[in-house]
Amino acid sequence: MSALAECLVAFVFGSVVGLLVQRSRFCNTAALRDAMLFKTFRNTKALLVAMMILTIGFTAFISIGAGNPMRFDVGVNQILGLFLFGTGMVLAGACTVSTWVKAGEGNFGAIWALIFTFVGMFLFSLIWSYIYWPPAPSAMTGELSVERLQFGFSNAETLQEKTGIPAIFFGIIQAAVLYGLYRAIKRREAASAATS
Amino acid sequence: MELFRKTLDPVIALSAIAVLDIFLFLIVGAWTVGGGETMMTGLIAQFILGDTIDRIPFWHEVFKPDAGYWKIYISLGMLFGAIVGAVASKEFFWRFPKRLSEWVMITVGGLLMGIGIRLAFVCNVSTFFGLTPELNLGGYLAISGILAGAWFGSLIYKRVLEGG
Repeated sequence: MSALAECLVAFVFGSVVGLLVQRSRFCNTAALRDAMLFKTFRNTKALLVAMMILTIGFTAFISIGAGNPMRFDVGVNQILGLFLFGTGMVLAGACTVSTWVKAGEGNFGAIWALIFTFVGMFLFSLIWSYIYWPPAPSAMTGELSVERLQFGFSNAETLQEKTGIPAIFFGIIQAAVLYGLYRAIKRREAASAATS
Repeated sequence: MELFRKTLDPVIALSAIAVLDIFLFLIVGAWTVGGGETMMTGLIAQFILGDTIDRIPFWHEVFKPDAGYWKIYISLGMLFGAIVGAVASKEFFWRFPKRLSEWVMITVGGLLMGIGIRLAFVCNVSTFFGLTPELNLGGYLAISGILAGAWFGSLIYKRVLEGG
């Protein structure tokens, strides 16, 4: 597929996502923050349902060798980076999706958050240029590296290759766990509705 | 049109997005936002700094600025879709943070998001809508980080709310 066609597909996908997120008021920040702080789960349930669909869909296609899974080494930097990100998104009141969507609604706070996300990325590019960590894609080996705090690479594809069991099998197990969480939330909501 | 008069159930909206994301996964790759934002940062930096950006190794070893990078257009599409939705439903109006504490939290929050995305190589979207459904080890590491971070951020948020 040409680069232009890829960009067009991405733009159409993004446009539909922007419209649906704007109309549904879905927010990833609220899915985590509201569950922790206010014990409300409107966005959490939507996130879990989407993850169930995606897990089944992705692993089904990976089982037959289709799709474009992400391939890069992972390590301690994912924990540290998303810890900073998680703290930041609650403080900013928006995640990567809702900053764009709220910006589209005329929310200047979201535009401001977006500007400083770019500033943060640029600052990190300066830091990386001194420490060279986490490793650049060209320096990734796919193997465990204790001194680089990297665990290598593993996903549904590698699970399938190593065990000989189709990826969808593992996908069904993950989807069942996500469904268990969804059911627990529904039961909790039913119980609190009955007592109020 | 009904869609622009009533709020859509997020379960329905996210289910539709998930189905579309599966098609995107088959064509180019799963939904992500952080990569596109990084490329935009590189392009803006290149526009402002010119050739000086070549002296920063990150911008030629990790992300070489390229306007033809497909992930940029997901974010621009989201902005466009949100504007269409907000205008059609008469929900577009300029809003500004009112208190100084809000400006400070948004500024610090934005900076932490940007640093966090680049340190992790992933954002929240690729964590929940890409890596974890692909059963990628990075997804589980990222989820543990984002849950701890959201909990820590919630403590600060609560303290600011109570203080304000």
